[in-house]
Amino acid sequence: MIARRLPDAGRWALWVVLLVVVGVALGVGASRPGPPLTAVQRAQSIDAQVRCPSCEDISVADSSASTAQAIRQLVVARVRAGQSDQQIDAFLVSRYGPGILLRPPDTGVTAWVWVLPPVAVAAAVAGLASALWRRRGAAAPAVSEDDRALVDRALAQRAAAAGAGTGDTPAGPRGAGSVVAP
Amino acid sequence: MTPPLSASGLDLEPAPSGVRRRHSARWVAGVVLVVGAALVTLLATRPPQAATEVDTPLLGQRAPAIAGTTVTGASFDLSTLRGRWVVVNFFASWCPPCQQEQPDLVAFDYAHRTPGDTALVGVVFDDAASSARAFMRSTGAAWPAVVDPDGQIALQYGVRGPPETFIVAPDGTVVAHFDGPMTGSGLDYWLARAQRGTP
Amino acid sequence: MNAALGHAGVLLALASAVVGTAVIAYGLARGRSDAGRTGRVYAVLLLVGAVVATGAMEHALVTHDFSLVFVADNNSRSTPLLYTVTGMWSALAGSILLWGLILAGYIAAMVWRFRRQADDPIVAWATLVTFVVAAFFFGLMAGPADPFTTVAGAVPANGTGPNVLLQDNPLVAFHPPLLYLGFVGFTIPFAFAVASLVTGRVGEGWQVATRRWTLLAWGFLTVGIILGAWWSYQVLGWGGFWGWDPVENASFLPWLCATAYLHSVLVQERRGLLRVWNLSLVIATFSLTILGTFLTRSGVVASVHAFSDSDIGPLLLGFFGAVLAVGVGLIAWRGDRLRSPGGIDAAVSREGAFLANNLLFVAFAFVVLLGTVFPLLYEALRGQQVTVGAPYFNLMTLPIGFALLFLMAVGPALPWRKTTAGTLRDRLMVPAWAGGLVIVACVAAGVRGLAPLLAFGLGGFAAAANLRQLALSARSARRAGVGAWRGLMGRANGGMVVHLGVVVIAVALAAATSFGYRAQVTMRPGQTVVMDGHRVEFLRLVHVATPARTSTEALVVVDGGTTLRPAVSQFGPATEAVGTPAIDSGFEDDVYLTVNALPVGSGGPVTIGVVIQPLVSWLWAGGSLLVLGSILAALPGRRRPATDPVSAPVPDVARRVASAPPGPAPPVPAGPAGAGSPPPPPAPAPAGAAPRAPDPGEHAGEPVPARSP
Repeated sequence: MIARRLPDAGRWALWVVLLVVVGVALGVGASRPGPPLTAVQRAQSIDAQVRCPSCEDISVADSSASTAQAIRQLVVARVRAGQSDQQIDAFLVSRYGPGILLRPPDTGVTAWVWVLPPVAVAAAVAGLASALWRRRGAAAPAVSEDDRALVDRALAQRAAAAGAGTGDTPAGPRGAGSVVAP
Repeated sequence: MTPPLSASGLDLEPAPSGVRRRHSARWVAGVVLVVGAALVTLLATRPPQAATEVDTPLLGQRAPAIAGTTVTGASFDLSTLRGRWVVVNFFASWCPPCQQEQPDLVAFDYAHRTPGDTALVGVVFDDAASSARAFMRSTGAAWPAVVDPDGQIALQYGVRGPPETFIVAPDGTVVAHFDGPMTGSGLDYWLARAQRGTP
Repeated sequence: MNAALGHAGVLLALASAVVGTAVIAYGLARGRSDAGRTGRVYAVLLLVGAVVATGAMEHALVTHDFSLVFVADNNSRSTPLLYTVTGMWSALAGSILLWGLILAGYIAAMVWRFRRQADDPIVAWATLVTFVVAAFFFGLMAGPADPFTTVAGAVPANGTGPNVLLQDNPLVAFHPPLLYLGFVGFTIPFAFAVASLVTGRVGEGWQVATRRWTLLAWGFLTVGIILGAWWSYQVLGWGGFWGWDPVENASFLPWLCATAYLHSVLVQERRGLLRVWNLSLVIATFSLTILGTFLTRSGVVASVHAFSDSDIGPLLLGFFGAVLAVGVGLIAWRGDRLRSPGGIDAAVSREGAFLANNLLFVAFAFVVLLGTVFPLLYEALRGQQVTVGAPYFNLMTLPIGFALLFLMAVGPALPWRKTTAGTLRDRLMVPAWAGGLVIVACVAAGVRGLAPLLAFGLGGFAAAANLRQLALSARSARRAGVGAWRGLMGRANGGMVVHLGVVVIAVALAAATSFGYRAQVTMRPGQTVVMDGHRVEFLRLVHVATPARTSTEALVVVDGGTTLRPAVSQFGPATEAVGTPAIDSGFEDDVYLTVNALPVGSGGPVTIGVVIQPLVSWLWAGGSLLVLGSILAALPGRRRPATDPVSAPVPDVARRVASAPPGPAPPVPAGPAGAGSPPPPPAPAPAGAAPRAPDPGEHAGEPVPARSP
């Protein structure tokens, strides 16, 4: 591989180049504006966030139930009338209650469902990091005589085998699935 | 009997951090148990079916308009019933609980025939007008049943599926909402409560 | 007669489980060494009872014995044979019977497999625990969920037939049994976990012995979930395959914990670390299967899977609570014995990656559990309804998914214990460039959106990294003279193939959910429309009538090729009509058609729903890779000498513990070990000290291909 012949600095340079390339590509791709949304497409994106009231857990966009069709009809009409997404959502909530939206509201008690996961993950990461930090420099556990004997025996076997085997190419240890550095 | 694993470490003297770790393991275990117990209790006390009287954002609000033609071709407007108590019943001919509640509704309607008394209004939910008409006729129901071909009336009332029933006060506000088949005694009870003004 | 036979079978199984529990408990309490052996015969009786009961039920179904309430509700004379047989698990009571049968089968297999260690208290305790679980399920069948209740009054002439959604696709014969083979399979590792905690012998022995069981159960569960998604896609008509339905989540939660466990147990085998994690994960997996059964069966949530609510809800919930309490209590009690010698030395190491992996999977499970249970809790507390739907789950799990893809790429390249930046820099160079080029190619092709681009890029990174591992393993196998294909077998290499399958699925998910196209169009016969690059031509309507169903089909030609027949069908008389979709699957995308509205008069326009999603077929291809990888992982890999400079379970100690035939291989005489830069033998230093070998990254990244029993 090309990388094998490069010195360390060259290899790092390749990484930096990669990161720059990826960054630029992502920037271009992420900021690329899509075609302007037609009324139907905007209505569809609103429909995808509204729960079909008479179905089990699918959105109004996905359902062919009568209630879903009625909501789609209303949403399209209101989108054409120039209402915003929030206004349309608010109207539906005023009729069906907050359960009509597939996203739980982020105010009130339901805010917990949004807040708990990131907080829990952050707390767990902090806990693990501090446990790891505390372990730094901890003394290695003592070793029993049994273990020393096992290690010595295994090493002796290996030395004997290496001595008896034919000289081999420096291909690294003969283990299944062994990963040899490129 | 195989002897226990004698690899190093299992029989160590507890390191200074061992005591702290033992406590933290117990703490974590305790927290998990408490959370688990709370979860189990809450799930156990939740009834599998929704309660009959169901909250709706329309409570206390002006009842949305119902205007259109009935299954018999007559025209109907809910606002003409202002000043009377109205029971609005969303139904369909294919829905078994609707079939179940229909005799009770027929009896209720008959008992409240006097002019000015509580009126009963039906709204057809996702059903052909002809089927709804046949259903009304075969059950002896005589109250107006408004056709809702594009489901907009049901949408305005936030109806998820039949049968759903609303009680509308004489001033036009919604005071109660029920999900599931009504019984005659249930209707009488809730109407009495609503008329007394108790929440 | 069927009812009597069925009742007899259930009672025999229940009695065997209860008596078996008592006998083993008595033997263990008295310290008798044959406690396990005497309990064995009850496992056979349990299986006999289960088989008799299942046979009675199937016989009743096939002979249309409508004197049984279950048969009258779930079968009819016009139901085809396949759906008659699968009718056993189309409803609550019969599906518990299937669970019981599979559990009895697993218990019998376990008892047979460990018959030579039957005297070991761990095996005895494990058998006892499985008997308790079996007693619970057969107790359910003896009482509240009795599948053999007879009709009161006259026997009906014909039954109502199974749910229409359960008779229009043969997948009903595979999805539930495979799913149950997965769920129930986790009972065995759980039983051994409890046994090892109770006896205080928390060493590696039991995990080595049950590793294949866990992998087997995990494999079945994975296939079951993917088939469920496929079935949902083929049948339900909304064009989606995963709706974050509470019941889908209920099957996904144990899968997440089991996957975390399968990874984390590698660290325990290698270094004796993460014991509490592993025990907790096994107990969590089993508990979640019970919670999942509760959510599915109790009617607490409304779902495609919801059977009518019944009395067994509170019982299942109580069992879940008991399992959780016992598991957590045992871990707390034995906490001091679970402390590991040594610990994780560096965060950036294979152990650190596995720990991060555990954390991510548990976070994933936490999000899914919270989202599933929150609406129930909210309604119990507030009386109001709130919905936690797909947008929530997609948003919250997206970062976790990205992190997992990243770990999948980086993890296999990380050495154990610690590494240098240079090692990672070199090992990940090519995979990272592969991922980067994927992103550039996608952007050049016009793909937009940060999330899908990241998904594709990380997917390319992970795929390249795993392919690199496989290539190195194949090369090493070839050099050892055993054929390159041997480098693809074994736990580590099978794992790489499984990762490839996951990457393919992740890429497919990203594409299908980000770039799906959905529309509804009203067409007259002979009309053609162009949608999202596909030509859709509606020919005409046809009416089809077979004994099993009558349907109105719309003949639609897509891109001048195959004729698709989306339809509205009725299965059996007096049943509601359901829509049956038709799918044109291609490498690039799927065209999914449904009939949304039939014309009022004849010759009128039909409303056809069209969903076009890219890369959906990749989902099923990825699923096949997952299955292939699981099979490869279960095959024996090549042995690795114990003295290769990575810590490993020392074979003859492990053999002393497990003494499970075939035990882990004794150290192979290393043969012509690579003479090139072998690390100097570690000085007789404490086993916990980090080896000071030159460039530990050179060899330390080997995945362990141990010959596992």
